[in-house]
Amino acid sequence: MEKGYSQEKIIILHLKDNVGIIKKDVNKGEKIVIEEEKFKNTIEVREKIPYRFKIALKDIHAGDEIIKSGELIGRAKEEITKGEMVHVHNIEGLRGRGDLKVKNKETL
Amino acid sequence: MEKTFLGFKRADGSVGIRNYVLIIPAQGNLRMLAQKICDFVPDTKTTYFPWEIGRSKADREVMARTFIGLGSNPNVSSVLVLGIEGAGFDELKADRIRKGIANTGKRTELLIFGKDENIFNAMEKSIKIVRELVLDASSERRKPFGLESLAIGVKCGYSDTTSGISGNPVVGKVFDEIVSHGGKAYFSESPEIIGGEHIVTKRAKNKEVADKLIAAAKGFEDKALSVGEDIRAINPMPANKEAGISTLEEKTLGAIMKSGSSVIEDVLEYAQIPQKSGLYFIDTTPICELYIGLAAAGAQLMLFQVGTNAITLNLKPDGSGGIVMPISYFTGNKETYEKQQDNFDFNSGPLFDNIDQIDEYRNGLLDKILDLCSGTKTKVETAAAYQERIELYLQDPVF
Repeated sequence: MEKGYSQEKIIILHLKDNVGIIKKDVNKGEKIVIEEEKFKNTIEVREKIPYRFKIALKDIHAGDEIIKSGELIGRAKEEITKGEMVHVHNIEGLRGRGDLKVKNKETL
Repeated sequence: MEKTFLGFKRADGSVGIRNYVLIIPAQGNLRMLAQKICDFVPDTKTTYFPWEIGRSKADREVMARTFIGLGSNPNVSSVLVLGIEGAGFDELKADRIRKGIANTGKRTELLIFGKDENIFNAMEKSIKIVRELVLDASSERRKPFGLESLAIGVKCGYSDTTSGISGNPVVGKVFDEIVSHGGKAYFSESPEIIGGEHIVTKRAKNKEVADKLIAAAKGFEDKALSVGEDIRAINPMPANKEAGISTLEEKTLGAIMKSGSSVIEDVLEYAQIPQKSGLYFIDTTPICELYIGLAAAGAQLMLFQVGTNAITLNLKPDGSGGIVMPISYFTGNKETYEKQQDNFDFNSGPLFDNIDQIDEYRNGLLDKILDLCSGTKTKVETAAAYQERIELYLQDPVF
C-alpha cells in the first residue's frame, strides 16, 4: 500500500490521518499495537467498534479537523478520546449544509 | 498476451457487446405500441420514458438527445423509430431522431402513423419490419477486439468504508488499463465530488474541464442550499451511515477512487457522446438516471460497485435500468458477496484484508469484464427480461 499502513485489526490510509479503519470487530479493552516506525502507536480500544467503522488514533478536541486518507472529511462535534469510535454522533460534515445557511438567515 | 473480447463491429467503428433491435416511440402515445412489439419479437428493447407533454423545451431536448444516444449505442444493431403524423414537438419529431441515429451508419427505419391507423394495424406494420431487423441482427457474428474498443461506465452504491479501500480502487486500476490502451471509461455522480473537487481538478485535462467539474459539484450543493436542505439527511444515506460512512466528504473520497488516475478528458452533459477515447465525467445524479445517461453516452457495460449489503438488492436485482446496456454488480465487501452471490459477478472482498494484492484483483476484474463483453451474461441480466420504467435526468418542473 503506497502511503498507508495495514495490519490485522486496522488500516490507516495516510500519515496525516487522525482516524483509522477497523478491519474486524474489536471490543473494549483490546489493544492495537503498531510497530511500524512512521505510524508507531498503541491504542486501547475504548468501546466496541464494528468492522468498517473508524477509531480515533489520538485525542481529538471539539472543533478539530478529522483527517482520513490525508484529506479533510469533517469536524469533531465534541471531545473524542483516543481509542473511541468516530462516527455521526461525534463528528459532522461541512459541505452541502443547507441547514446551516437557513439558521444564519433566521438570526440576521 | 494481448487481452481481447468478442464483439459486433458497427458502421461507425464502435463495438457492441450485445446485439439488440431498439424500438423508439417518439411520442409517449406510442409507448404501448412499442411494448407490444417487444412482447412478440425477441431480442428487442424499447424506451419506456416519461411523458414529454408538459416538459420544458430544455428537457425535451434532453429526451431527444437520449433517444439518439440510446439508438447510437454500440449494443444496438438497428432501430425502428415510431411517430404520429403531424404530432410531436420539434425536438422530438420522429424523423429528427431517426436522422440523429442514422449518422452512425446503422440501419434506422421510420414508421409514421396517420389518422386512419389504429393500434392493431400499426402493430401489424411494425412487427413485420422488426422481425426482419431481428433476423438480420441474428446473422451478425462476433469478432475479436482489444481494450481500445471498450467503453465502460461505473457507478458506486450502498457505500461503506470498504468501497474506498477494496472496491472502487480496483475499478480505478481497470480504468487506467482501459484508457491507457485507447478505450473509453466513464464515471459520474456529481453530488459525490463535493468535498473532493481539489482531487479531481488536479487530473482535469485543462482549466476549462476543471471549471466544469467544480460547476457540476457546485450545482448540486447549491440545489441543496437553496431549499434549506441538509444534504446529510439525503447523502450519505442511512445505509451508508449504518455501514460506517460518517460524512459526505468521506463518502466522496471513497467514491472518487473509482475513477483511477487518468486525465479527465471532459465533463459531458447528460446523453452527450464523446468522440475521442479517454476518461470522462458525466454531470448527473447518482441514481437511476445515470444508467440511461451512461448508455446514451455510448457505454457498453456499467459496473455497479456495491459496499454494504443492502436488502434492496435482493428484492430488486435490476438488470434492465440501462435498457441496451447490461449492468454488472461487484463488491469489495466479502460479507456482501457471501449474502448475494446470485447477483454479483466479481468479489474483491479479500483485498480489504490484504491491500497489497490490488494488481491481482485488477487483472481479475478486467478478465471478468472481457468475459461479460464477449457474451457471458451478467448475473442480473438473467433477471432483466422485465423492463423497469426508466428515469431520465430532466431538471425542470412539469407544467
